[in-house]
Amino acid sequence: MGNLIKSEWYKLKKDRSFWLLTFLLVITSIGYPLLIVMDEATLAVKVNDFYQYSVLGGNNYVIKLVPCILAGFFISSEYSNGTMKNMVASGNSRIQLYFAKLIIFSVGTMVISLILPLLMTGASAVYFSFYEMPDLGYFLQTIWLTALYGAAFASIMALFATLLADSGKAIGFMLIFFILFDSVLYSVANNISMFEPVFNYSVFKLLLEIVNVSALSSGEMTKMIVVPVVTFIVFGLLGSILYKKKEIK
Amino acid sequence: MIEYVLKTSHLSKQFKNQTALNKVDLSIKKGSIYGFIGQNGAGKSTLIRIISGLASPTTGTVELFVHSNGQALNEARKRIGTMIEGPALYPHMTAVENLEAHRLLKGIPGKECIEKTLELVGLQGTGKKKARNFSLGMKQRLGIAIALLGDPEFLILDEPINGLDPMGVVEVRELLKKLNQEYGITILISSHILSELHLLATHYGIIHKGHLLEQLTLDELNKKCKQYLHIKVDNPEKAAAVIESNLSTREFEVLPDGLIKLFGFVDTPGIVSSILVNEGLVIEHFMPMGQDLESYFMERIGGVHHG
Repeated sequence: MGNLIKSEWYKLKKDRSFWLLTFLLVITSIGYPLLIVMDEATLAVKVNDFYQYSVLGGNNYVIKLVPCILAGFFISSEYSNGTMKNMVASGNSRIQLYFAKLIIFSVGTMVISLILPLLMTGASAVYFSFYEMPDLGYFLQTIWLTALYGAAFASIMALFATLLADSGKAIGFMLIFFILFDSVLYSVANNISMFEPVFNYSVFKLLLEIVNVSALSSGEMTKMIVVPVVTFIVFGLLGSILYKKKEIK
Repeated sequence: MIEYVLKTSHLSKQFKNQTALNKVDLSIKKGSIYGFIGQNGAGKSTLIRIISGLASPTTGTVELFVHSNGQALNEARKRIGTMIEGPALYPHMTAVENLEAHRLLKGIPGKECIEKTLELVGLQGTGKKKARNFSLGMKQRLGIAIALLGDPEFLILDEPINGLDPMGVVEVRELLKKLNQEYGITILISSHILSELHLLATHYGIIHKGHLLEQLTLDELNKKCKQYLHIKVDNPEKAAAVIESNLSTREFEVLPDGLIKLFGFVDTPGIVSSILVNEGLVIEHFMPMGQDLESYFMERIGGVHHG
Protein backbone atom coordinates (compact mmCIF):
# COMPACT_ATOMS: atom_id res chain seq x y z
CA MET A 1 0.00 0.00 0.00
CA GLY A 2 2.90 2.33 0.81
CA ASN A 3 4.27 2.09 -2.73
CA LEU A 4 0.82 2.83 -4.18
CA ILE A 5 0.46 5.95 -2.04
CA LYS A 6 3.95 7.06 -3.05
CA SER A 7 3.06 6.55 -6.72
CA GLU A 8 -0.20 8.51 -6.38
CA TRP A 9 1.57 11.28 -4.47
CA TYR A 10 4.18 11.48 -7.22
CA LYS A 11 1.42 11.75 -9.83
CA LEU A 12 -0.41 14.46 -7.84
CA LYS A 13 2.79 16.46 -7.62
CA LYS A 14 3.11 16.21 -11.41
CA ASP A 15 -0.56 16.97 -12.07
CA ARG A 16 -0.78 20.29 -13.89
CA SER A 17 -4.48 20.76 -13.13
CA PHE A 18 -3.70 20.56 -9.41
CA TRP A 19 -1.04 23.26 -9.65
CA LEU A 20 -3.16 25.43 -11.94
CA LEU A 21 -6.15 25.27 -9.57
CA THR A 22 -3.88 25.96 -6.61
CA PHE A 23 -2.32 28.91 -8.42
CA LEU A 24 -5.72 30.39 -9.32
CA LEU A 25 -6.95 30.03 -5.74
CA VAL A 26 -3.75 31.63 -4.41
CA ILE A 27 -4.19 34.56 -6.81
CA THR A 28 -7.84 34.87 -5.75
CA SER A 29 -6.86 34.69 -2.08
CA ILE A 30 -4.39 37.51 -2.44
CA GLY A 31 -6.30 39.56 -4.99
CA TYR A 32 -9.89 39.51 -3.72
CA PRO A 33 -9.32 41.15 -0.31
CA LEU A 34 -7.08 43.67 -2.07
CA LEU A 35 -10.02 44.70 -4.25
CA ILE A 36 -12.08 45.23 -1.10
CA VAL A 37 -9.33 47.34 0.40
CA MET A 38 -9.27 49.47 -2.73
CA ASP A 39 -13.06 49.73 -2.63
CA GLU A 40 -13.65 50.46 1.05
CA ALA A 41 -11.77 52.02 3.90
CA THR A 42 -9.44 49.39 5.38
CA LEU A 43 -10.59 49.90 8.94
CA ALA A 44 -14.23 49.47 7.98
CA VAL A 45 -13.81 45.70 7.48
CA LYS A 46 -13.36 43.38 10.42
CA VAL A 47 -11.18 40.35 9.62
CA ASN A 48 -13.53 38.11 11.62
CA ASP A 49 -16.57 39.19 9.61
CA PHE A 50 -14.67 38.86 6.38
CA TYR A 51 -13.53 35.36 7.41
CA GLN A 52 -17.02 34.19 8.35
CA TYR A 53 -19.03 35.62 5.47
CA SER A 54 -16.65 36.01 2.56
CA VAL A 55 -13.97 33.39 3.12
CA LEU A 56 -15.99 30.50 4.57
CA GLY A 57 -19.08 31.40 2.52
CA GLY A 58 -17.10 31.46 -0.72
CA ASN A 59 -15.11 28.40 0.25
CA ASN A 60 -18.30 26.30 0.34
CA TYR A 61 -18.36 26.59 -3.46
CA VAL A 62 -14.64 25.90 -3.72
CA ILE A 63 -14.97 22.65 -1.71
CA LYS A 64 -17.89 21.42 -3.81
CA LEU A 65 -16.80 22.53 -7.27
CA VAL A 66 -13.05 23.01 -7.73
CA PRO A 67 -12.02 19.43 -6.78
CA CYS A 68 -14.43 18.15 -9.49
CA ILE A 69 -11.92 19.43 -12.02
CA LEU A 70 -9.06 17.75 -10.19
CA ALA A 71 -11.06 14.49 -10.02
CA GLY A 72 -11.54 14.61 -13.79
CA PHE A 73 -7.82 14.99 -14.47
CA PHE A 74 -6.37 13.01 -11.58
CA ILE A 75 -8.76 10.04 -11.62
CA SER A 76 -10.81 9.83 -14.82
CA SER A 77 -7.91 10.63 -17.15
CA GLU A 78 -6.17 7.45 -15.94
CA TYR A 79 -8.85 5.61 -17.92
CA SER A 80 -8.58 7.74 -21.07
CA ASN A 81 -4.75 7.65 -21.03
CA GLY A 82 -4.91 3.88 -20.60
CA THR A 83 -2.64 4.11 -17.56
CA MET A 84 -5.36 2.52 -15.43
CA LYS A 85 -4.61 -0.70 -17.35
CA ASN A 86 -1.00 -0.60 -16.15
CA MET A 87 -2.18 0.01 -12.60
CA VAL A 88 -4.60 -2.92 -12.55
CA ALA A 89 -2.22 -5.27 -14.40
CA SER A 90 0.51 -4.49 -11.84
CA GLY A 91 -0.83 -7.24 -9.60
CA ASN A 92 -1.80 -4.94 -6.74
CA SER A 93 -5.18 -5.42 -5.08
CA ARG A 94 -7.84 -3.25 -6.66
CA ILE A 95 -9.16 -2.20 -3.25
CA GLN A 96 -5.70 -0.94 -2.30
CA LEU A 97 -5.30 0.79 -5.66
CA TYR A 98 -8.62 2.57 -5.15
CA PHE A 99 -7.92 3.67 -1.59
CA ALA A 100 -4.41 4.87 -2.47
CA LYS A 101 -5.97 7.00 -5.21
CA LEU A 102 -8.74 8.21 -2.90
CA ILE A 103 -6.38 9.09 -0.06
CA ILE A 104 -4.11 11.19 -2.27
CA PHE A 105 -7.05 12.76 -4.10
CA SER A 106 -8.49 13.66 -0.67
CA VAL A 107 -5.17 15.25 0.29
CA GLY A 108 -5.28 17.27 -2.94
CA THR A 109 -8.87 18.29 -2.21
CA MET A 110 -7.96 19.29 1.35
CA VAL A 111 -5.11 21.45 0.05
CA ILE A 112 -7.48 23.13 -2.40
CA SER A 113 -10.13 23.56 0.29
CA LEU A 114 -7.73 25.19 2.74
CA ILE A 115 -6.14 27.78 0.45
CA LEU A 116 -8.91 30.35 0.88
CA PRO A 117 -9.36 29.94 4.66
CA LEU A 118 -5.63 30.13 5.28
CA LEU A 119 -4.25 32.41 2.61
CA MET A 120 -7.18 34.75 2.06
CA THR A 121 -7.57 35.17 5.80
CA GLY A 122 -3.85 35.84 6.14
CA ALA A 123 -3.89 38.34 3.28
CA SER A 124 -7.01 40.07 4.56
CA ALA A 125 -5.50 40.31 8.07
CA VAL A 126 -2.55 42.19 6.60
CA TYR A 127 -4.70 44.38 4.36
CA PHE A 128 -7.23 45.13 7.15
CA SER A 129 -4.47 45.81 9.68
CA PHE A 130 -5.45 42.80 11.86
CA TYR A 131 -8.70 44.57 12.81
CA GLU A 132 -10.95 42.23 14.86
CA MET A 133 -9.21 38.94 14.12
CA PRO A 134 -11.21 35.68 14.44
CA ASP A 135 -10.81 33.77 17.69
CA LEU A 136 -7.96 31.25 17.29
CA GLY A 137 -9.99 28.32 18.67
CA TYR A 138 -12.87 29.08 16.29
CA PHE A 139 -10.44 29.53 13.39
CA LEU A 140 -8.74 26.17 14.02
CA GLN A 141 -12.09 24.37 14.40
CA THR A 142 -13.31 25.72 11.06
CA ILE A 143 -10.01 24.82 9.42
CA TRP A 144 -10.02 21.18 10.37
CA LEU A 145 -13.75 20.82 9.70
CA THR A 146 -13.12 22.30 6.23
CA ALA A 147 -10.41 19.69 5.65
CA LEU A 148 -12.72 16.93 6.89
CA TYR A 149 -15.58 18.01 4.63
CA GLY A 150 -13.13 18.35 1.73
CA ALA A 151 -12.22 14.67 2.20
CA ALA A 152 -15.91 13.67 2.42
CA PHE A 153 -16.71 15.46 -0.84
CA ALA A 154 -13.57 13.93 -2.38
CA SER A 155 -14.91 10.44 -1.67
CA ILE A 156 -18.16 11.26 -3.52
CA MET A 157 -16.24 12.77 -6.44
CA ALA A 158 -13.88 9.79 -6.64
CA LEU A 159 -16.90 7.49 -6.98
CA PHE A 160 -18.33 9.54 -9.86
CA ALA A 161 -14.93 9.88 -11.54
CA THR A 162 -14.51 6.09 -11.40
CA LEU A 163 -18.03 5.52 -12.67
CA LEU A 164 -17.75 7.91 -15.62
CA ALA A 165 -14.12 7.10 -16.49
CA ASP A 166 -13.78 10.05 -18.88
CA SER A 167 -12.37 13.35 -17.69
CA GLY A 168 -14.66 15.57 -19.79
CA LYS A 169 -17.83 13.71 -18.87
CA ALA A 170 -16.80 13.43 -15.22
CA ILE A 171 -16.04 17.14 -14.82
CA GLY A 172 -19.22 18.23 -16.64
CA PHE A 173 -21.47 15.86 -14.75
CA MET A 174 -19.97 16.59 -11.33
CA LEU A 175 -20.09 20.36 -11.73
CA ILE A 176 -23.79 20.20 -12.59
CA PHE A 177 -24.44 17.64 -9.85
CA PHE A 178 -22.68 19.58 -7.09
CA ILE A 179 -24.23 22.90 -8.15
CA LEU A 180 -27.76 21.51 -8.15
CA PHE A 181 -27.84 18.59 -5.75
CA ASP A 182 -28.19 20.40 -2.41
CA SER A 183 -31.03 22.56 -3.81
CA VAL A 184 -32.73 19.45 -5.20
CA LEU A 185 -32.24 17.57 -1.94
CA TYR A 186 -33.53 20.58 0.01
CA SER A 187 -36.71 20.75 -2.10
CA VAL A 188 -37.26 17.01 -1.87
CA ALA A 189 -36.75 17.10 1.91
CA ASN A 190 -39.21 19.98 2.23
CA ASN A 191 -41.89 18.15 0.29
CA ILE A 192 -41.31 14.56 1.37
CA SER A 193 -40.74 14.26 5.09
CA MET A 194 -38.88 10.94 4.89
CA PHE A 195 -36.06 12.73 3.03
CA GLU A 196 -35.73 15.40 5.72
CA PRO A 197 -33.22 13.41 7.83
CA VAL A 198 -31.28 12.57 4.67
CA PHE A 199 -30.85 16.28 3.99
CA ASN A 200 -30.20 17.18 7.62
CA TYR A 201 -27.53 14.52 7.96
CA SER A 202 -25.90 15.17 4.60
CA VAL A 203 -22.51 16.79 4.07
CA PHE A 204 -24.27 19.16 1.68
CA LYS A 205 -26.23 20.78 4.51
CA LEU A 206 -23.67 20.42 7.28
CA LEU A 207 -20.96 22.09 5.19
CA LEU A 208 -22.97 25.31 5.55
CA GLU A 209 -22.89 24.92 9.36
CA ILE A 210 -19.08 25.13 9.63
CA VAL A 211 -19.34 28.90 9.96
CA ASN A 212 -21.57 28.46 13.05
CA VAL A 213 -19.28 25.94 14.74
CA SER A 214 -18.79 28.11 17.84
CA ALA A 215 -22.53 28.14 18.49
CA LEU A 216 -23.08 24.38 18.13
CA SER A 217 -23.95 22.11 21.04
CA SER A 218 -21.74 19.10 21.72
CA GLY A 219 -24.35 16.80 20.12
CA GLU A 220 -24.42 18.93 16.99
CA MET A 221 -20.63 19.04 16.97
CA THR A 222 -20.52 15.25 17.12
CA LYS A 223 -22.88 15.17 14.16
CA MET A 224 -20.61 17.64 12.33
CA ILE A 225 -17.69 15.22 12.74
CA VAL A 226 -19.39 11.84 12.35
CA VAL A 227 -21.31 12.62 9.15
CA PRO A 228 -18.27 13.43 6.95
CA VAL A 229 -16.32 10.52 8.42
CA VAL A 230 -19.18 8.11 7.66
CA THR A 231 -19.62 9.70 4.21
CA PHE A 232 -15.92 9.16 3.47
CA ILE A 233 -16.05 5.53 4.59
CA VAL A 234 -19.35 4.68 2.85
CA PHE A 235 -18.47 6.34 -0.46
CA GLY A 236 -14.92 4.99 -0.24
CA LEU A 237 -16.27 1.46 0.14
CA LEU A 238 -18.89 1.93 -2.58
CA GLY A 239 -16.22 3.30 -4.93
CA SER A 240 -13.83 0.46 -4.16
CA ILE A 241 -16.55 -2.16 -4.79
CA LEU A 242 -17.42 -0.46 -8.08
CA TYR A 243 -13.74 -0.33 -9.03
CA LYS A 244 -13.20 -3.96 -8.10
CA LYS A 245 -15.99 -5.08 -10.42
CA LYS A 246 -15.24 -2.63 -13.20
CA GLU A 247 -13.89 -3.91 -16.51
CA ILE A 248 -10.98 -1.66 -17.44
CA LYS A 249 -11.11 -0.59 -21.08
CA MET B 1 8.64 -31.73 -17.27
CA ILE B 2 7.40 -28.86 -19.41
CA GLU B 3 6.93 -25.67 -17.47
CA TYR B 4 4.12 -23.36 -18.51
CA VAL B 5 3.86 -19.71 -17.56
CA LEU B 6 0.28 -19.49 -18.74
CA LYS B 7 -2.55 -21.92 -19.21
CA THR B 8 -6.18 -21.10 -19.82
CA SER B 9 -8.87 -23.68 -19.49
CA HIS B 10 -12.25 -23.44 -21.22
CA LEU B 11 -11.97 -19.67 -21.05
CA SER B 12 -15.10 -17.91 -22.32
CA LYS B 13 -16.21 -14.33 -22.37
CA GLN B 14 -19.70 -13.23 -23.25
CA PHE B 15 -20.70 -9.61 -23.94
CA LYS B 16 -24.51 -9.46 -23.96
CA ASN B 17 -25.29 -11.33 -27.20
CA GLN B 18 -21.73 -11.60 -28.44
CA THR B 19 -19.28 -14.35 -27.60
CA ALA B 20 -15.82 -12.79 -27.54
CA LEU B 21 -14.06 -15.96 -26.40
CA ASN B 22 -15.32 -19.50 -26.65
CA LYS B 23 -13.78 -22.21 -24.46
CA VAL B 24 -10.19 -21.19 -25.16
CA ASP B 25 -7.53 -23.65 -23.97
CA LEU B 26 -4.24 -21.88 -24.50
CA SER B 27 -0.85 -22.74 -23.07
CA ILE B 28 2.44 -20.89 -23.25
CA LYS B 29 5.67 -22.67 -22.45
CA LYS B 30 8.31 -20.98 -20.36
CA GLY B 31 10.99 -19.42 -22.54
CA SER B 32 8.91 -19.25 -25.69
CA ILE B 33 7.86 -16.32 -27.86
CA TYR B 34 4.20 -16.92 -28.51
CA GLY B 35 2.79 -15.19 -31.57
CA PHE B 36 -0.91 -14.63 -31.14
CA ILE B 37 -2.64 -14.26 -34.48
CA GLY B 38 -6.16 -13.17 -35.27
CA GLN B 39 -8.20 -10.62 -37.14
CA ASN B 40 -9.58 -7.49 -35.48
CA GLY B 41 -12.32 -8.57 -33.09
CA ALA B 42 -11.12 -12.20 -33.07
CA GLY B 43 -10.69 -12.11 -29.30
CA LYS B 44 -6.95 -11.46 -28.91
CA SER B 45 -7.27 -8.33 -26.80
CA THR B 46 -10.11 -9.81 -24.74
CA LEU B 47 -7.92 -12.77 -23.85
CA ILE B 48 -4.95 -10.53 -23.04
CA ARG B 49 -7.19 -8.29 -20.90
CA ILE B 50 -8.43 -11.32 -18.93
CA ILE B 51 -4.88 -12.62 -18.40
CA SER B 52 -3.83 -9.16 -17.16
CA GLY B 53 -6.77 -8.88 -14.77
CA LEU B 54 -8.51 -6.01 -16.57
CA ALA B 55 -11.58 -8.12 -17.25
CA SER B 56 -12.95 -11.28 -15.74
CA PRO B 57 -13.97 -14.35 -17.72
CA THR B 58 -17.60 -15.46 -17.93
CA THR B 59 -16.44 -19.05 -17.43
CA GLY B 60 -13.14 -20.90 -17.35
CA THR B 61 -9.86 -20.33 -15.57
CA VAL B 62 -6.53 -18.59 -16.04
CA GLU B 63 -3.43 -20.20 -14.57
CA LEU B 64 -0.42 -17.92 -14.36
CA PHE B 65 2.82 -19.43 -13.02
CA VAL B 66 0.62 -22.31 -11.76
CA HIS B 67 -1.58 -19.94 -9.74
CA SER B 68 -5.21 -19.79 -10.70
CA ASN B 69 -7.06 -18.52 -7.66
CA GLY B 70 -7.94 -14.99 -6.55
CA GLN B 71 -5.16 -13.38 -4.57
CA ALA B 72 -2.44 -15.83 -5.68
CA LEU B 73 -3.30 -15.20 -9.33
CA ASN B 74 -3.18 -11.46 -8.75
CA GLU B 75 0.18 -11.80 -6.96
CA ALA B 76 1.45 -13.78 -9.96
CA ARG B 77 0.61 -10.76 -12.13
CA LYS B 78 3.45 -8.94 -10.37
CA ARG B 79 5.76 -11.19 -12.40
CA ILE B 80 4.41 -10.02 -15.74
CA GLY B 81 4.87 -6.86 -17.78
CA THR B 82 2.14 -5.67 -20.10
CA MET B 83 1.47 -3.31 -22.93
CA ILE B 84 -2.16 -3.67 -23.86
CA GLU B 85 -3.81 -1.97 -26.83
CA GLY B 86 -0.99 0.51 -27.28
CA PRO B 87 1.34 2.32 -24.91
CA ALA B 88 -0.32 3.72 -21.77
CA LEU B 89 1.55 6.89 -20.80
CA TYR B 90 1.13 10.05 -18.75
CA PRO B 91 1.34 12.57 -21.61
CA HIS B 92 2.42 15.48 -19.40
CA MET B 93 5.38 13.56 -17.99
CA THR B 94 8.82 12.89 -19.47
CA ALA B 95 10.05 9.36 -20.17
CA VAL B 96 11.92 9.29 -16.85
CA GLU B 97 8.89 10.59 -14.94
CA ASN B 98 6.61 8.02 -16.59
CA LEU B 99 8.95 5.26 -15.52
CA GLU B 100 9.30 6.73 -12.03
CA ALA B 101 5.50 6.69 -11.55
CA HIS B 102 5.44 3.04 -12.61
CA ARG B 103 8.51 2.18 -10.56
CA LEU B 104 6.75 3.46 -7.46
CA LEU B 105 3.55 1.63 -8.45
CA LYS B 106 5.42 -1.65 -8.73
CA GLY B 107 7.38 -0.98 -5.56
CA ILE B 108 10.77 -1.41 -7.26
CA PRO B 109 13.58 -0.19 -4.99
CA GLY B 110 16.22 2.18 -6.41
CA LYS B 111 16.03 4.44 -9.44
CA GLU B 112 18.87 2.76 -11.35
CA CYS B 113 16.42 0.58 -13.24
CA ILE B 114 14.98 3.64 -15.01
CA GLU B 115 18.11 4.61 -16.95
CA LYS B 116 18.90 0.95 -17.59
CA THR B 117 15.44 0.32 -19.06
CA LEU B 118 15.48 3.50 -21.15
CA GLU B 119 18.84 2.48 -22.54
CA LEU B 120 17.52 -0.98 -23.35
CA VAL B 121 14.71 0.47 -25.51
CA GLY B 122 16.88 3.23 -26.99
CA LEU B 123 15.16 6.14 -25.27
CA GLN B 124 18.05 7.46 -23.22
CA GLY B 125 18.63 11.18 -23.49
CA THR B 126 15.05 12.26 -24.21
CA GLY B 127 15.53 14.79 -21.42
CA LYS B 128 12.63 17.11 -20.66
CA LYS B 129 10.60 16.18 -23.71
CA LYS B 130 7.07 15.26 -22.62
CA ALA B 131 5.60 11.94 -23.71
CA ARG B 132 2.83 13.79 -25.58
CA ASN B 133 5.49 15.18 -27.92
CA PHE B 134 7.03 11.78 -28.65
CA SER B 135 6.67 10.18 -32.07
CA LEU B 136 4.46 7.08 -32.22
CA GLY B 137 7.57 4.90 -32.34
CA MET B 138 9.01 6.56 -29.23
CA LYS B 139 5.70 6.09 -27.43
CA GLN B 140 5.75 2.39 -28.34
CA ARG B 141 9.27 2.07 -26.97
CA LEU B 142 8.31 3.85 -23.77
CA GLY B 143 5.30 1.52 -23.45
CA ILE B 144 7.65 -1.45 -23.79
CA ALA B 145 10.03 0.15 -21.25
CA ILE B 146 7.17 0.43 -18.75
CA ALA B 147 6.32 -3.24 -19.33
CA LEU B 148 9.98 -4.15 -18.77
CA LEU B 149 10.28 -2.36 -15.41
CA GLY B 150 10.83 -4.77 -12.57
CA ASP B 151 12.41 -7.50 -14.74
CA PRO B 152 9.21 -9.41 -15.56
CA GLU B 153 9.40 -13.12 -16.33
CA PHE B 154 6.52 -12.92 -18.77
CA LEU B 155 5.94 -10.06 -21.17
CA ILE B 156 2.55 -9.48 -22.80
CA LEU B 157 2.70 -7.12 -25.75
CA ASP B 158 -0.37 -6.23 -27.77
CA GLU B 159 0.63 -4.82 -31.18
CA PRO B 160 4.05 -3.53 -30.01
CA ILE B 161 5.33 -2.68 -33.50
CA ASN B 162 2.36 -0.59 -34.61
CA GLY B 163 3.53 2.75 -35.91
CA LEU B 164 7.21 1.90 -35.91
CA ASP B 165 9.34 2.73 -38.94
CA PRO B 166 11.20 -0.18 -40.61
CA MET B 167 14.32 0.50 -38.53
CA GLY B 168 12.20 0.64 -35.39
CA VAL B 169 10.55 -2.68 -36.26
CA VAL B 170 13.95 -4.32 -36.63
CA GLU B 171 15.17 -2.80 -33.36
CA VAL B 172 12.12 -3.97 -31.42
CA ARG B 173 12.45 -7.44 -32.96
CA GLU B 174 16.10 -7.60 -31.92
CA LEU B 175 15.22 -6.30 -28.46
CA LEU B 176 12.52 -8.93 -27.95
CA LYS B 177 14.86 -11.68 -29.19
CA LYS B 178 17.53 -10.45 -26.79
CA LEU B 179 15.07 -10.36 -23.87
CA ASN B 180 13.97 -13.88 -24.71
CA GLN B 181 17.37 -15.41 -25.39
CA GLU B 182 19.58 -13.57 -22.90
CA TYR B 183 17.16 -12.88 -20.07
CA GLY B 184 14.88 -15.89 -20.57
CA ILE B 185 11.73 -13.78 -20.66
CA THR B 186 8.69 -15.54 -22.05
CA ILE B 187 6.80 -13.30 -24.47
CA LEU B 188 3.22 -13.27 -25.68
CA ILE B 189 2.99 -10.97 -28.66
CA SER B 190 0.02 -10.15 -30.83
CA SER B 191 0.56 -8.39 -34.12
CA HIS B 192 -1.13 -7.85 -37.44
CA ILE B 193 2.24 -7.86 -39.16
CA LEU B 194 2.46 -11.61 -39.64
CA SER B 195 5.69 -11.55 -41.61
CA GLU B 196 7.29 -9.91 -38.58
CA LEU B 197 5.80 -12.47 -36.20
CA HIS B 198 7.17 -15.23 -38.39
CA LEU B 199 10.69 -13.84 -37.86
CA LEU B 200 10.25 -13.74 -34.11
CA ALA B 201 7.87 -16.28 -32.63
CA THR B 202 8.73 -19.81 -31.61
CA HIS B 203 5.12 -20.80 -31.02
CA TYR B 204 1.85 -19.68 -32.55
CA GLY B 205 -1.80 -19.53 -31.62
CA ILE B 206 -4.45 -18.76 -34.21
CA ILE B 207 -7.70 -17.32 -32.91
CA HIS B 208 -10.79 -16.66 -34.99
CA LYS B 209 -14.19 -15.43 -33.85
CA GLY B 210 -13.37 -16.30 -30.25
CA HIS B 211 -12.21 -19.85 -31.02
CA LEU B 212 -8.58 -20.86 -30.64
CA LEU B 213 -8.25 -22.75 -33.92
CA GLU B 214 -4.76 -24.08 -33.48
CA GLN B 215 -1.55 -23.88 -31.47
CA LEU B 216 1.66 -24.91 -33.14
CA THR B 217 5.41 -24.60 -32.88
CA LEU B 218 7.58 -22.88 -35.46
CA ASP B 219 8.75 -26.29 -36.76
CA GLU B 220 5.19 -27.48 -37.12
CA LEU B 221 4.26 -24.26 -38.88
CA ASN B 222 7.16 -24.57 -41.28
CA LYS B 223 6.10 -28.10 -42.11
CA LYS B 224 2.55 -26.97 -42.69
CA CYS B 225 3.57 -23.97 -44.76
CA LYS B 226 4.01 -26.23 -47.76
CA GLN B 227 6.77 -25.74 -50.29
CA TYR B 228 5.68 -25.98 -53.90
CA LEU B 229 6.76 -25.39 -57.49
CA HIS B 230 5.13 -22.41 -59.12
CA ILE B 231 4.72 -23.29 -62.80
CA LYS B 232 3.33 -21.39 -65.76
CA VAL B 233 3.06 -23.19 -69.11
CA ASP B 234 1.37 -22.50 -72.44
CA ASN B 235 -1.24 -25.25 -71.84
CA PRO B 236 -2.19 -25.69 -68.17
CA GLU B 237 -4.83 -28.40 -68.80
CA LYS B 238 -2.34 -30.60 -70.65
CA ALA B 239 0.29 -29.88 -68.01
CA ALA B 240 -2.13 -31.00 -65.27
CA ALA B 241 -2.77 -34.26 -67.09
CA VAL B 242 0.97 -34.83 -67.64
CA ILE B 243 1.76 -34.16 -63.96
CA GLU B 244 -0.99 -36.52 -62.82
CA SER B 245 0.03 -39.37 -65.14
CA ASN B 246 3.83 -39.01 -65.31
CA LEU B 247 4.50 -37.91 -61.71
CA SER B 248 1.64 -39.98 -60.24
CA THR B 249 0.48 -37.18 -57.96
CA ARG B 250 -2.67 -35.19 -57.35
CA GLU B 251 -0.89 -32.83 -54.98
CA PHE B 252 -1.24 -29.82 -57.23
CA GLU B 253 -3.60 -26.94 -57.91
CA VAL B 254 -4.44 -25.21 -61.15
CA LEU B 255 -5.28 -21.63 -60.32
CA PRO B 256 -7.88 -19.65 -62.32
CA ASP B 257 -5.11 -17.67 -64.07
CA GLY B 258 -3.50 -20.90 -65.33
CA LEU B 259 -0.69 -21.01 -62.80
CA ILE B 260 0.04 -24.42 -61.32
CA LYS B 261 1.12 -25.02 -57.71
CA LEU B 262 2.81 -28.41 -57.52
CA PHE B 263 3.51 -29.69 -54.03
CA GLY B 264 6.15 -32.24 -53.05
CA PHE B 265 8.72 -31.85 -55.88
CA VAL B 266 10.64 -28.82 -54.61
CA ASP B 267 13.79 -30.89 -54.19
CA THR B 268 13.58 -32.36 -57.73
CA PRO B 269 12.60 -29.50 -60.03
CA GLY B 270 14.72 -30.88 -62.89
CA ILE B 271 12.60 -34.02 -63.18
CA VAL B 272 9.40 -31.97 -63.36
CA SER B 273 10.73 -29.51 -65.95
CA SER B 274 12.17 -32.24 -68.19
CA ILE B 275 8.86 -34.17 -68.16
CA LEU B 276 6.92 -31.04 -69.10
CA VAL B 277 9.37 -30.13 -71.87
CA ASN B 278 9.41 -33.73 -73.19
CA GLU B 279 5.62 -33.57 -73.53
CA GLY B 280 6.00 -30.46 -75.74
CA LEU B 281 4.94 -27.88 -73.21
CA VAL B 282 6.54 -24.44 -73.19
CA ILE B 283 7.56 -23.36 -69.70
CA GLU B 284 7.06 -19.64 -69.17
CA HIS B 285 7.69 -19.57 -65.40
CA PHE B 286 9.13 -22.15 -63.05
CA MET B 287 10.09 -21.39 -59.48
CA PRO B 288 10.12 -23.09 -56.08
CA MET B 289 7.91 -21.17 -53.60
CA GLY B 290 6.76 -21.51 -50.01
CA GLN B 291 3.51 -20.64 -48.25
CA ASP B 292 4.08 -17.94 -45.66
CA LEU B 293 2.44 -17.42 -42.28
CA GLU B 294 -0.05 -15.00 -43.79
CA SER B 295 -1.20 -17.54 -46.38
CA TYR B 296 -1.38 -20.25 -43.77
CA PHE B 297 -3.39 -18.01 -41.45
CA MET B 298 -5.81 -17.11 -44.23
CA GLU B 299 -6.18 -20.79 -45.11
CA ARG B 300 -6.93 -21.67 -41.48
CA ILE B 301 -9.60 -19.03 -41.01
CA GLY B 302 -11.14 -19.87 -44.35
CA GLY B 303 -10.32 -16.58 -46.05
CA VAL B 304 -8.93 -15.88 -49.51
CA HIS B 305 -5.36 -14.73 -49.71
CA HIS B 306 -4.37 -12.53 -52.60
CA GLY B 307 -0.60 -12.88 -52.47
